[in-house]
Amino acid sequence: MLCFAVVLAGMLGGWWLRLQTPSTTPVSFSAPFVFGRFIIPQDNPLTVESIALGRRLFYDPKLSGNNQVSCATCHKQHLAFTDGLPHSIGVSGNPLPFNSMSLANLLWGPQLLFWNGRASSLEEQALQPIEHVDEMAQDLSLLLEELASDAVYHKMFAEAYGNVSLDAIAKALANFQRTLVSANSKYDQYLRGELNLSELEEQGRRLFMAHPDTKVSLRGGNCIDCHSQFLTGGFNTAFDGFNNNGLDDDATLAAGLAEVTGLDAHKGMFKTPTLRNIAVTAPYMHDGRFNTLEEVLAHYNGGIKRSSTLSPLILEADNVAQHQEDKISLNLTKQEERAIIAFLHTLTDKEFLTDERFSNPFTAKKDAP
Amino acid sequence: MTSKSIKAMVASVTVGMLFILIGCSKVTQTTETVTTQTKSPSNSEETQGIVLLSGLPTLGTKDSIAILEMDPESPQFGDILYEYELPKYDAPLHHLYYSPNGRLYATGLGTQCSLAEVLLSRDAQGAPSINDVTCLDTQGQSVGEDIMWHTVNGKPHMFVTFMGGTGLDQVDAGSVGVFDPQSNELIKIIEARKSMVGEGQPYIMYPHGISAFGDRMVVTSSVHPNLTDGVGNAITVIDLNTLEPIENIVTEDAKPVGYPSSPVEVLFVRPSIVEGVEPAVLVNTMFGFETWKIPYNESDKSFGTPVKLYDGASAGTGVPLEFYGNQNELFISHGLPGVVKRYSLTDLPELVSSGADIQAEAGAHHMIFYKTASGKDVIAIQNNLLNLGNAADEDPTDVDFIAKLNHHSLTVHDLATGERLGEINIKERYNKGIDNIEALFGSGFVHHH
Repeated sequence: MLCFAVVLAGMLGGWWLRLQTPSTTPVSFSAPFVFGRFIIPQDNPLTVESIALGRRLFYDPKLSGNNQVSCATCHKQHLAFTDGLPHSIGVSGNPLPFNSMSLANLLWGPQLLFWNGRASSLEEQALQPIEHVDEMAQDLSLLLEELASDAVYHKMFAEAYGNVSLDAIAKALANFQRTLVSANSKYDQYLRGELNLSELEEQGRRLFMAHPDTKVSLRGGNCIDCHSQFLTGGFNTAFDGFNNNGLDDDATLAAGLAEVTGLDAHKGMFKTPTLRNIAVTAPYMHDGRFNTLEEVLAHYNGGIKRSSTLSPLILEADNVAQHQEDKISLNLTKQEERAIIAFLHTLTDKEFLTDERFSNPFTAKKDAP
Repeated sequence: MTSKSIKAMVASVTVGMLFILIGCSKVTQTTETVTTQTKSPSNSEETQGIVLLSGLPTLGTKDSIAILEMDPESPQFGDILYEYELPKYDAPLHHLYYSPNGRLYATGLGTQCSLAEVLLSRDAQGAPSINDVTCLDTQGQSVGEDIMWHTVNGKPHMFVTFMGGTGLDQVDAGSVGVFDPQSNELIKIIEARKSMVGEGQPYIMYPHGISAFGDRMVVTSSVHPNLTDGVGNAITVIDLNTLEPIENIVTEDAKPVGYPSSPVEVLFVRPSIVEGVEPAVLVNTMFGFETWKIPYNESDKSFGTPVKLYDGASAGTGVPLEFYGNQNELFISHGLPGVVKRYSLTDLPELVSSGADIQAEAGAHHMIFYKTASGKDVIAIQNNLLNLGNAADEDPTDVDFIAKLNHHSLTVHDLATGERLGEINIKERYNKGIDNIEALFGSGFVHHH
């Protein structure tokens, strides 16, 4: 009898689970080979329903405590999902410690998100800004009530994940962000052989790709040493991609990755961001201290400050035969700086910046498929 | 391609080799290279190879491009992870090459598709896939072999050797195609057949290997694609300023099997490969069994007298084929008996052994380098010369002397010890021949050229 009860309970349990699991539509798409392998979490497959839900949540100010701030407030599509401010401003009106990061090609990596790597997945990241007192200041239990009482959301959650839950909110936001694929910049078209770069852009490309080596007369901008994943969302391996790029000396060095790991060796190290659409994501660096790409190049070309965790790749790149102990600089000419900036402009993907599929569903003329 | 005369020629090559091998002494033993093991790579695709497979008519299989798991530590070792069936061309695709921008190309041994671009993509699960294989317009050039991307006067070009030149019926066929590397459009055909140029004038004939340094390019003169009309014994120097041949240099000595030396692959050793090196050209001779060095004076752009660095006839090896390099070593494959010899990179252009031969199988040819999941540095060797022949011979991979050079396998070896860690026999497992292997993300910085 006991056996029968156990079997019956198991059968009922399976039936109940099937009832709770909605029938979803897998997304079919192709992506550039050269971006590398991407991994989609097994417990959060990309589905039409979850992406539609994530898109609506991303643009909905209901997710904030005062119903005025959405994810899109700090991540505007036309700015490659940044906000143009040195420090983003949320519900509290207090400037946040960090500059808003671009959301592009997050499908490829990164394993650690935020400037200091404090989230280890898009799902883990998703709820943090919603709860944060300065960002969206939303009580999560109240948010659940609010969404559950909304007929549209009730239906969308049911179709995507079965019911309204924090887990489903995080997963839906993560999935929408995974669809933000940028793959049609001038440089992408160049890689596909569809066009040629201008002479200046080509010079910049070569400088970007080269670590300087005076022994073989190779001048280099040394960019690729840290930005090897510049086409995607960053490195997908642990702490790879976190660097101290010489913004501050030891006295003023920010915690950076050390805030997460507690290791002094990680002090001053911040996540190397994607360079996709970099021309439209000013201001630059984790604290938005540089307003223009010219200022960024000037930093690497003479503005580097020494500190205990400064990247050794920066220390040794100087484009001169006799290593200069007193000064850290790439010693690029002004013309070479212009060439690198010209190349960086080829990374702008106008299609991505205006793609209807990524736009605000509350104001979009039509919903993209 | 399977005429009696071919068989006679190749049979004599094989017999000659057997004599040589019977009389051979022990291979040279030197200190083994010890490689530091590092943490396993995070990208599982780094252990995957992309291969060209030939269908065998009698076994009912078709030509394809496949992605194989090459990590002997993986339970999927040897599995085809993805396969793209190719159309039936008049000869198999022969060699895969990645361009500097990551585009994948293939040369082909026939006339219908002697050069192609393979359009790689990723599906919704992130797995690699092939969208299309586009045969490029070579304006009649056939039997594509090697590709090299090289910048001439600031402008990048794609150079392709065509052993069949502009007509397989030409007994002195051969050309080098110059292509726009962005649009794939043909810019120029460099052709200088012996019958076209005056006596003693530089010619291009059956070009196969290709390498370049600065404004000088070298191509080899190997063998007519039909294996009957002629065999070369020289390399050709091309002035890249004018795209014209300017000199032939003979690399031939003992003729161990009675045929001209048939230079096959060539490597212009240069500072970008070895810092501070005195430039020189290394040449493998397929029927001479030798490796030659031709010194190059960069200041006056003159080539010196060829010097024989390695004599396979006396050392017990034959059919030297490919040059490959990693960060520390240069590797040369020898089809018979099937070994890969290894040399110190920093000692180039001299051939100073850096370790014992890697014992592969007959037909040792192309190779790739990668790390296993546990971080072990390994080399995978394709043991197969060519999948030629035709259906009339019942089994196209088991005719001629080529059969003696076709083990149909991939063997994986520990780079530190040479120990064989695994073997995949493509014919036994998949009823296909294997023509080429390339690492899914490219094989290394020297890679042939």
